[in-house]
Amino acid sequence: MSRQEPEAPGGKLAAELSQVFAGYREALPDPEPSADFMPGLWRRIEARQGSARDLRRLARGFVTAAALVSLLIGIFLSLPQGRGSAFYTNTYLEIVAADEAQGDPDDVEMVRIERISYEITR
Amino acid sequence: MQVDFELIRRAREGDEAAFGQVVQAYRKRILGTIARLIGRPEDVEDVGQEVFLRLYFSLDQLRTPEMFEPWLYRLTVNAAYDYLRRQRRRPEWRMADLTEQQVLMAEADRSSRRERVEQDRRRLREMVDALLGALSEQDRILLTLKEIEGLSLKELEKIYRVNENALKVRLFRARQRVLKAYGGLAAAGGQAPREQMGG
Repeated sequence: MSRQEPEAPGGKLAAELSQVFAGYREALPDPEPSADFMPGLWRRIEARQGSARDLRRLARGFVTAAALVSLLIGIFLSLPQGRGSAFYTNTYLEIVAADEAQGDPDDVEMVRIERISYEITR
Repeated sequence: MQVDFELIRRAREGDEAAFGQVVQAYRKRILGTIARLIGRPEDVEDVGQEVFLRLYFSLDQLRTPEMFEPWLYRLTVNAAYDYLRRQRRRPEWRMADLTEQQVLMAEADRSSRRERVEQDRRRLREMVDALLGALSEQDRILLTLKEIEGLSLKELEKIYRVNENALKVRLFRARQRVLKAYGGLAAAGGQAPREQMGG
């Protein structure tokens, strides 16, 4: 007595699907490349190389321009400035001395008081 | 391997003649794979050139010549994936889009036996294309490489750099989805689609 194998779910369909895939493989064999395949490929490579070259040239130009601008800024900053504001260029002591020389009595007095109190605390 | 490592090494170092030889050794096989991956014979060469173009500009990143074939397949998969994504955005090509002249020519050719075989093949291509259309582009490519190209799980592992179990799960799900679509076609036609085509 022959015993029938229980069929896996979708077993028949699965086997058919495998056959369909095998048929598809046969229906689409490896195609022969056309005569223009290699020349076309080299044309595309050259076109890509050309655009990469342009991009490199552009990047190099940009770097040169940036370096030039940096140099100009450096030169500008290193030039001796004209008579700028004393507030930014002089030291604190120079400003105090200048004020004292101008003779503002209130300020002078205040400085003197500070000096005296400083000596008393010592 | 269809070429020796020395040739690949020379191509990697910028030897254009060596690169040309590598392309000639692999182009037919790669074009065949692309044809089955994208299912559009008219665009196969264009995608094939794109693969070798990418190869030319990325060959210096190849660490060992032994990895050349999985590398080339990965480039093929990526180019086919890009193509399929672009195609999905375009309106689909249908029989109704044929010009009147093309329809008349098709009718006239119908009598010959060779043409009937060709017609069966075209219908099979359209059917498989429709079945694989139920999948995402990535799953379509993966299933095609396994079921139609006949690549082993080990080879797929090298191409995708993914572990075998993850690939098995993904393949199982993709196959189940295609099987369901195939069952739907069979139910709609009252018999298996394969039988409908006289296969």
